[in-house]
Amino acid sequence: MTDSGFTVDVDQNQYLPEGGRDVSAVVTVTSGPDVAITAPGAGAGSAEIIIIDCSGSMDYPPTKMSQARAATAAAIDVVRDGVGFAVVAGTSTAWPVFPPDGSMAVASPASRAAAKQAVGALRANGGTAIGKWLGLAREIFAGYPAQLRHAILLTDGKNQHETPEQLVAELGQCEGVFSCDCRGVGTDWEVSELRTVSSALLGTVDIVPDPAGLAADFAAMMENAMGKQVADVSLRVWTPQTATLKFVKQVAPAVEDLTGRRTQLSPQAGDFPTGAWGPGESRDYHVGVEVAAAGLGQEMLAARISLVAGTEVLGQGLVRAIWTDDEALSTKINARVAHYTGQAELADAIQEGLEARKQGDEETATAKLGRAVALAHQSGNEDTAKLLAKVVDVVDVEAGTVRLKKKVEDADEMALDTRSTKTVRVKK
Amino acid sequence: MAVCPNGHDSASDDFCDTCGMRIGSPPAGSSSAASGHGAPGGAPGSWPAPGPASADEPCPNCATPRTGQFCEACGYNFAGPRFSPGPPPPGRGPAGPAPGGGYSQPVPSSRPQPPPPGPGTGGYSWSQPVPSAPSSPAPSAATLPPPARQAADGAPSMSSFPYPQATWTAVVGADRAYYERVQAVTGPEGAAVTFPSYYAERRFQLVGNQMRIGRRSVSRGLAPEIDLTGPPADPGISRLHAVLIATQDGNWAVLDPGSANGTLVNGAEIGVGDQISLHDGDRINLGAWTAITVHRGLGNSHPAGGRRHVTTDDPRH
Repeated sequence: MTDSGFTVDVDQNQYLPEGGRDVSAVVTVTSGPDVAITAPGAGAGSAEIIIIDCSGSMDYPPTKMSQARAATAAAIDVVRDGVGFAVVAGTSTAWPVFPPDGSMAVASPASRAAAKQAVGALRANGGTAIGKWLGLAREIFAGYPAQLRHAILLTDGKNQHETPEQLVAELGQCEGVFSCDCRGVGTDWEVSELRTVSSALLGTVDIVPDPAGLAADFAAMMENAMGKQVADVSLRVWTPQTATLKFVKQVAPAVEDLTGRRTQLSPQAGDFPTGAWGPGESRDYHVGVEVAAAGLGQEMLAARISLVAGTEVLGQGLVRAIWTDDEALSTKINARVAHYTGQAELADAIQEGLEARKQGDEETATAKLGRAVALAHQSGNEDTAKLLAKVVDVVDVEAGTVRLKKKVEDADEMALDTRSTKTVRVKK
Repeated sequence: MAVCPNGHDSASDDFCDTCGMRIGSPPAGSSSAASGHGAPGGAPGSWPAPGPASADEPCPNCATPRTGQFCEACGYNFAGPRFSPGPPPPGRGPAGPAPGGGYSQPVPSSRPQPPPPGPGTGGYSWSQPVPSAPSSPAPSAATLPPPARQAADGAPSMSSFPYPQATWTAVVGADRAYYERVQAVTGPEGAAVTFPSYYAERRFQLVGNQMRIGRRSVSRGLAPEIDLTGPPADPGISRLHAVLIATQDGNWAVLDPGSANGTLVNGAEIGVGDQISLHDGDRINLGAWTAITVHRGLGNSHPAGGRRHVTTDDPRH
């Protein structure tokens, strides 16, 4: 463990055959038990906004709205003293629920009680325009100095009252300003829509099929957010002048493609956001580089991976390339690289299979979901295997032979879709 | 400043900043260039110079003139297959540190047989080649002059800098004497700070009303004009460490707004908030090993390595 409390480990097969160009590595970033480089009294450096859907559909069934109020209250209870917080309500427009003047309150027993009272008065009535909700949250964050800025967004429906372009434009403005965990309650919301939000804002997305589960989920999310210590950590990837960086993906705990999120530092170096970190976290990243082939016996640095927060370099790892004519070395497949390649394919197979199923293309759906079953089995991803088994009948798990179930619960299908990106790790 | 097998100057001493090649692996034809000295064992800070590149030889692949083992344009390997794992063998090539700046500015080079200037790419431009200063055999850490000194001693390219009259320049370098003084009075936490094995001398022209000295901070929205972020990074420098202030008479003064470790001018610590007038050749020390020498006008620039004696004995650290 370095002084910063972070470690960066690189796992790869560094040997390439003559003329080989593709270098692939798994980079594991781990935070120590007491990472904290944020200003002392980390709580003071944090701000939280809870965004709660108050569209008319939240009243069907009525328990949805009441459970959403209860969940928001439960999350407010977890906000630590001194942390800035606010509650935003959203319909086809957005308004500040607490504090009602659109500022940020500092958490204390009194402010938490006042916030819960304001939330208790919320009623469902209106439409859904998620971009507007995020826009208000962004403005509230902008008026409050905090390093760690996090939001929780709850919705139960599709983004009907603005165009997808409006949502994407707003997300562009929110990127880097705050992170956002999204929750869909019930089964009338769009998985891909919320995934767009959570991916852009470096958060999670999940389904809460039963409103009764909201309170516990909200409290857990807020608890997790309160544990974050280090804001705005980036992976800085340097590559040689003659090389091309093919991709940078987070692959554990969930697949998240960061390739398009590059902030250019120089033609040879760029930063990829990883969001905020708490103590004792570990995430894996898959980095692919195409290098210019060098002669046999030559060694090249294919990528220098630095973990940076602001100007602080928290750790560093090297991805190498050595050209050899020893085929035993160059053909060896790195187990972790292969594993995560499979996990990424698993997520794609599930999403494509479910999409095909929706379109009525049973042949493609059967093939894709069958492939997913085989991949989940091979990689020991039992959670995903269980979710798959609710959508398909497995005939042969090794070969990936499946039959589509005739009747599938919407909630099961959506749970499989939202959790398709969750991965499992392999031991080194 | 290390030089990679392809002939690039690199601030990193493990792999080249430009092409990524392992520094210390043998370039083409280098075995004949052995001249019997050099730091043994491939310790940090030692490197082989690239072999004598045949300047006339065009790349068989793309016809770009050769500048090193690999073609600058297409990466063709002039040396062909050869293998040399691990550190370079001792006694290879001139052992003088290659001086010069970062890869964003022209740098002098210590290559024994200067190749013709290659096509610059990506902001990297080849230096005016200069003969390297002969270095003493087997230089130890104690006798190795600060790289910045050599840069100033043997860099004719500087004379081509178009300095107007009464222009002030700050030259940043690493100062071993200052480093050792700081080390002598610091506790165990200071012992972890090592003197950089090489340092790219950096020059900043003093312009405007003030020039902040510090380290870039995205989170704090700080972008000091004289940014000492590194590499190599001096851990003793505050984000906003000191400010150079233009005075009425066209000269400059330095002010420490309250840095964590203090600032020295010509070896004497300055008080927080005091505005100290600067004169040509004055040296500002800060951090664990950083020296900033200020120069007025052109033609009498001092090396950053420090000609003035440091007399302080109590730098806060």
